[in-house]
Amino acid sequence: MQVVSVDQGQVCMRLTPQSWMFSQEDTKEICTSVLYSLADSAGGLAVFAGALELMPIATLDLRMDYLRPASGDQALLAVATCRHLTDEVAFIHCDILSEGNRELLATANATFMRNTQGQQFHAGGRGKESA
Amino acid sequence: MSTTGDSAQPISGAGESGKECPDWQALLERIPYARHLGLEVQRGDAGVLVHLPCREALIGNFMLPALHGGVLGALIELTARVAAQSQDTETRCPRILDSHINYLRSAKARSTFARADIVRQGRRTSLVQVTCWQGDENKPIATGQVQLLLPTMAAQQEDRHGH
Repeated sequence: MQVVSVDQGQVCMRLTPQSWMFSQEDTKEICTSVLYSLADSAGGLAVFAGALELMPIATLDLRMDYLRPASGDQALLAVATCRHLTDEVAFIHCDILSEGNRELLATANATFMRNTQGQQFHAGGRGKESA
Repeated sequence: MSTTGDSAQPISGAGESGKECPDWQALLERIPYARHLGLEVQRGDAGVLVHLPCREALIGNFMLPALHGGVLGALIELTARVAAQSQDTETRCPRILDSHINYLRSAKARSTFARADIVRQGRRTSLVQVTCWQGDENKPIATGQVQLLLPTMAAQQEDRHGH
């Protein structure tokens, strides 16, 4: 995955398909889960781009709609936008496009928790007790 | 692989339960991306599980360390796909329409398991609920709902025409 551009509140990432990303042997279709990963990564970066600061974040939920099969012949582009920021939460929208014809392949909506340092500290503490 | 104690949670009702496991494994092995992640089928107390062994390449955050959220998404989607496909009498290859994943706890760098429950298997679509956990099954780290389309002949032809 490469980062193409980072503007205020918007991030563009690019992914070149590899054969191990395919969903079946006989077709050159990229597995939906690869698009999912790309949306999650671009979405996380869009939180930083929207907040203009680096802080620990955590994905709360992510919803993907797969509009078209993604052909392995073309690179994938993810354009993630930070739609709204509150002190605690970031709302992100991400479009996954095919690089050549700019066809929309999938859309994603995600919610990220911001500043999770405190929670992670507690979560880590609990983890240690239970381990 | 006997059928003892399996009646409580019919995960993949089609066929004899003894047959499910190899079927799931064979279906997973046909997916290049599932092979890349190293997904393997296991038989748990309550039915078939998909196991994601942890390795360094799957870690999204080295500071914590934690699994990449996308890897969990892949585990959920692929488990749902194999569950829906194993239920389909024609073993058509389902197309994932949408998936909605909720992250409940941080995913540590360790073995992760996924279990699929088929909410509804229709003629054309299937809705699958997947739960993921590490260590304690009662403490899920993520749950997801995946909607799949079981392609009809007409749709398969349409696909070939560039869809």
